[in-house]
Amino acid sequence: MSTTSTSATADSGSRAGAAPSAAGLLPAGTWVVRIERFGFSARVYRQALVLGCVLCGLTLAATAVSLTLGDFSMSVTDVLAVVAGEASPMLTHVVVDMRLPRVLTGIGVGAALAVSGMILQRLAHNPLVSPDIIGINAGASAAAVATIVLFAGTTLQVAGGALTGAVVTAMLLYMMAYRRGVAGYRLVLIGIGLTAMLSSVTSYLLTRTDIDSAERAMIWLTGSLANRSWSHAATIWLALAVLVPVTLALTRQLRLLQLGDDTAAALGGRVQSARAALLFTSAATAAFATAVAGPVAFVALVAPQIVRRLLRERVVGMLPAMACGALLVISSDLLARTAFGPSELPVGVITGVLGAPYLLYLLTRMNRIGHG
Amino acid sequence: MTTHAPSSVIATSPAATAWSRWSRFRRWFAEAVRGQGLLHGTWSRSTGLLVATLALVAIALASLLIGNERLSLHEVHAAYFAYTGSDTDLIVLHLRVPRTLVGLAVGMALGIAGMLVQGVTRNPLGGPGILGINAGAALAAVVAISIFGATAVIGYVWFAFLGAALAAVVVYAVGSIGAGGASPVKLALAGAAVTAMLGSVTSAIILRDRASLDEYRFWVVGSLGGADTAMLGHALPFIALGVLLAVALTRPLNALAMGDDLARSLGVRLGIVRALGGVAVVLLAGTATAAAGPIGFVGLAVPHIARAIAGPDYRWILPWSAVLAPALLLAADILGRVIARPEELQVGIVTALVGAPVFIYLVRRKRLAGL
Amino acid sequence: MAVTVATRQGLRTASVAAITTLLVAGCAATDGNGGSDGGEQATETITSCGVEITTDEAPERVFAAYQPAIEMAYALGIEDRLVATAFINNEILEEYAGAHAGQPFYERVPSRETVLSYEPDFILTSAYRLYTEEGIGSRDGLAAIGVDTWLSAVACPDADGERMAELQSMDNVYSDLRQLGEIFDVRERADELIAEFSGTIERVEEAVAQANHEPTLAIARPDSDGFRVTGGLDFSTEIFEMAGGRNAFGDLDVSGPHTVSTEELIKRDPDYILVDTCCGPELTPSDAEEDVEAIMNDPALANLTAVSEGTVLEFGFPDRWAGVRAASTVESLAEMLHPDLVG
Repeated sequence: MSTTSTSATADSGSRAGAAPSAAGLLPAGTWVVRIERFGFSARVYRQALVLGCVLCGLTLAATAVSLTLGDFSMSVTDVLAVVAGEASPMLTHVVVDMRLPRVLTGIGVGAALAVSGMILQRLAHNPLVSPDIIGINAGASAAAVATIVLFAGTTLQVAGGALTGAVVTAMLLYMMAYRRGVAGYRLVLIGIGLTAMLSSVTSYLLTRTDIDSAERAMIWLTGSLANRSWSHAATIWLALAVLVPVTLALTRQLRLLQLGDDTAAALGGRVQSARAALLFTSAATAAFATAVAGPVAFVALVAPQIVRRLLRERVVGMLPAMACGALLVISSDLLARTAFGPSELPVGVITGVLGAPYLLYLLTRMNRIGHG
Repeated sequence: MTTHAPSSVIATSPAATAWSRWSRFRRWFAEAVRGQGLLHGTWSRSTGLLVATLALVAIALASLLIGNERLSLHEVHAAYFAYTGSDTDLIVLHLRVPRTLVGLAVGMALGIAGMLVQGVTRNPLGGPGILGINAGAALAAVVAISIFGATAVIGYVWFAFLGAALAAVVVYAVGSIGAGGASPVKLALAGAAVTAMLGSVTSAIILRDRASLDEYRFWVVGSLGGADTAMLGHALPFIALGVLLAVALTRPLNALAMGDDLARSLGVRLGIVRALGGVAVVLLAGTATAAAGPIGFVGLAVPHIARAIAGPDYRWILPWSAVLAPALLLAADILGRVIARPEELQVGIVTALVGAPVFIYLVRRKRLAGL
Repeated sequence: MAVTVATRQGLRTASVAAITTLLVAGCAATDGNGGSDGGEQATETITSCGVEITTDEAPERVFAAYQPAIEMAYALGIEDRLVATAFINNEILEEYAGAHAGQPFYERVPSRETVLSYEPDFILTSAYRLYTEEGIGSRDGLAAIGVDTWLSAVACPDADGERMAELQSMDNVYSDLRQLGEIFDVRERADELIAEFSGTIERVEEAVAQANHEPTLAIARPDSDGFRVTGGLDFSTEIFEMAGGRNAFGDLDVSGPHTVSTEELIKRDPDYILVDTCCGPELTPSDAEEDVEAIMNDPALANLTAVSEGTVLEFGFPDRWAGVRAASTVESLAEMLHPDLVG
């Protein structure tokens, strides 16, 4: 299995002239038009499409299950009655105003995290980089906890605070990591430093409040979809509607970046600005996800990796990655709110506990084959 | 910054003077970090160490005197030699002195632990926090509080050890697999990953137990505010053992700094050195974390400063770290007592806010790849 | 700015004055907060923290959240209308143990779905954050699906959704009792309770008025950093005053638990240290025993008046809240502080 990655690494250099290797990031249609060595790339396209469809189908299925299962028990016929508009107001409320926006928010959050993680991993040339690690989440968290603790903000105000925190942290990170370009490792290490500083601010804020606020903040900090409303769903879907096309437009530059710093350096400033733009798009995408749901652990990191492994390719299709992220989040949330009794766990606990072993596996595997 | 205009011209503006001094200091410091240290030769290093020790004594005294009520040296003296059982006597004997001593012990432990991590892994970014030891100890402490109902430090010190040890082993094992051993990025990533994972489990526990959440949120910032004599007595043997191990390891560490192959040819048994180093780190950092909560960045930053002053010889880095780290910790603690009067800012907050910029500065420096 | 401060102070003074008036006048005072018309007709609406509730039909399926509200429901004898209870920080008062034993009960507020799964027609609480998006949803939203909501007058949030510490008053406790009495058609029981509580407090205040000293008290619990105490805006400050004492940390401009250093506690040297425990539905004052021992045996605290006098005492966490426990807390504290005058 290790051959997949190593051969892919070697490939990306040799394919440089034809330059189709980042194609999985482009929408499928665009890709096919641009292609030179049609046969090879068409295979990637088909695989990505098939995988994307399968994952989307699974996501839909998980959505249907999520609408039916929960502490408010109901049958499938009840749900159908809601669809037909014949159910009681309370039943309708539970399905339409609670479960539906929650699962839609979950899908949006998962998709956004996956896109963000995919881009960051590519920018840092390291499959283990994610918004969790480079400090964006820590910035969002510190700001969100400040909003909760100091201003007793509403959920949407907390989301706004988190967004601001994430953007400011991303800017700081870029400024600090910039030194005649942004090297991947420096980005990571400075991110770790920022994370440490910001989480100490968060811890401090948690000691300056009553237990109820502290608990509310802790739940937010773990990443939760509990009680997410239509406004949350709308926020994340609008963000996706804007940011995904921007990301797609920027992937042409990303393709150049993939050739490595040395080659790309010849292209000068344009590459730097592309890096900056992508870093910010990625940060913004993660920031919106974090704003509506809190820092849901590991999804950004794991979703692109799973897809990469399933496609047995170095490139990651954006659609499959998004579907994978969405599936991970909503199925974890389903588990979080049904399997642990009346006071549900935040979804971040589930993704954290499930994602961690996979991450460690990735680490050992990557180290063994000599990346990093 | 780069032009060297005649100083008489620049001197007209105080800001410009300050800036040129700062640039000169930066160049001087950078040279020191890169080169053999500021102090050369046994004599100047010993004299310097003596001065630093005196500075530590001064800071420790300040820690006795500064607090909620400012005390005088006379009052501190009286607490021991003219004990009347007054409030001041009790504050000195049971609060200020234990707090200062715990600060000294914890600071020394963190400094030496940081030095060991950096030396054994040959990684300039090594520190107990980066290795996941804090997260391991935190999870173990939460388990102790929540599941076993521990309420006193003595109740969870063993758990904290175990947690710290397990986390360190996992991080080091994962981070050192593959060619090149434990590289800075690999270890940092493994540490971040393990920290995130342990953090998830910690959240899962405290979110289902309000009482534990309430204890945890105060513990996790890292503070010397709860220090008492019993805690000191409990922590000292472990720290002493760790320090002894560290002293014994200085020569092998010097050999290790020259590379595995050379060290092996000098008769150093790498496996044993690494294992003993790991044991010492867990003893030192585990005890420090159990006693004062997770305090960041002292272990990371201090060995670098020690190296900048005394050069690359671990026989000098060790005493310098052992003196500078408690000085930094106590200074941060005093700052925390003064800065937010009448409340106290926990020492863990102060060190993180002071230490993280140091870390980022180190990362921004070009020569980072190894020691 | 000065105006704000004055208003705040004014409010506190006003509420103290209101209590005094109330006590003097029996319980004839009208609803202080709710804006009820004060009439006795059952078909009227009442206003609970700005939300109107019609009272023509007593609710049958009630979800009660947060200990003070739950205990108030038991005190009014409406436990047979409850479908479930949630959010309890200490053991329920002994006299309501029987009523409580029959209820489905959650230690913390369960998920919104769980609450709705009881298909309640009414929710009552004294937790000011219950009707938020993190809690079980807005009051308007709940009303839209046929659930009436009631919030205790001591917990009305301000325009920013923040708790207003100055609402913690016996005046508002009586207003709560009166409102619930009306909603659940148990007005007589409510009037009985009001008479009982105000009578007790009146008697105690009259007695301690002759006291020539004012002992200081602190609610303090050791934590890893020092001591968790309750500050000046906490209702404990008012309870201590009614009992003829003074909160040693009464000048701290904070409500709820607040950490101070050990040295600060030594400096304040309260005459009585009340040690509470939190949070769990089985916790009783006696669970503070370990912390009491710790304070008594801490060599740094040996000079404290409370330590040398042996007045470091176990205390119930909910006893200091503005609710059905307050009057008896006032009484028992006064008996302790001024045994010669009260009892």
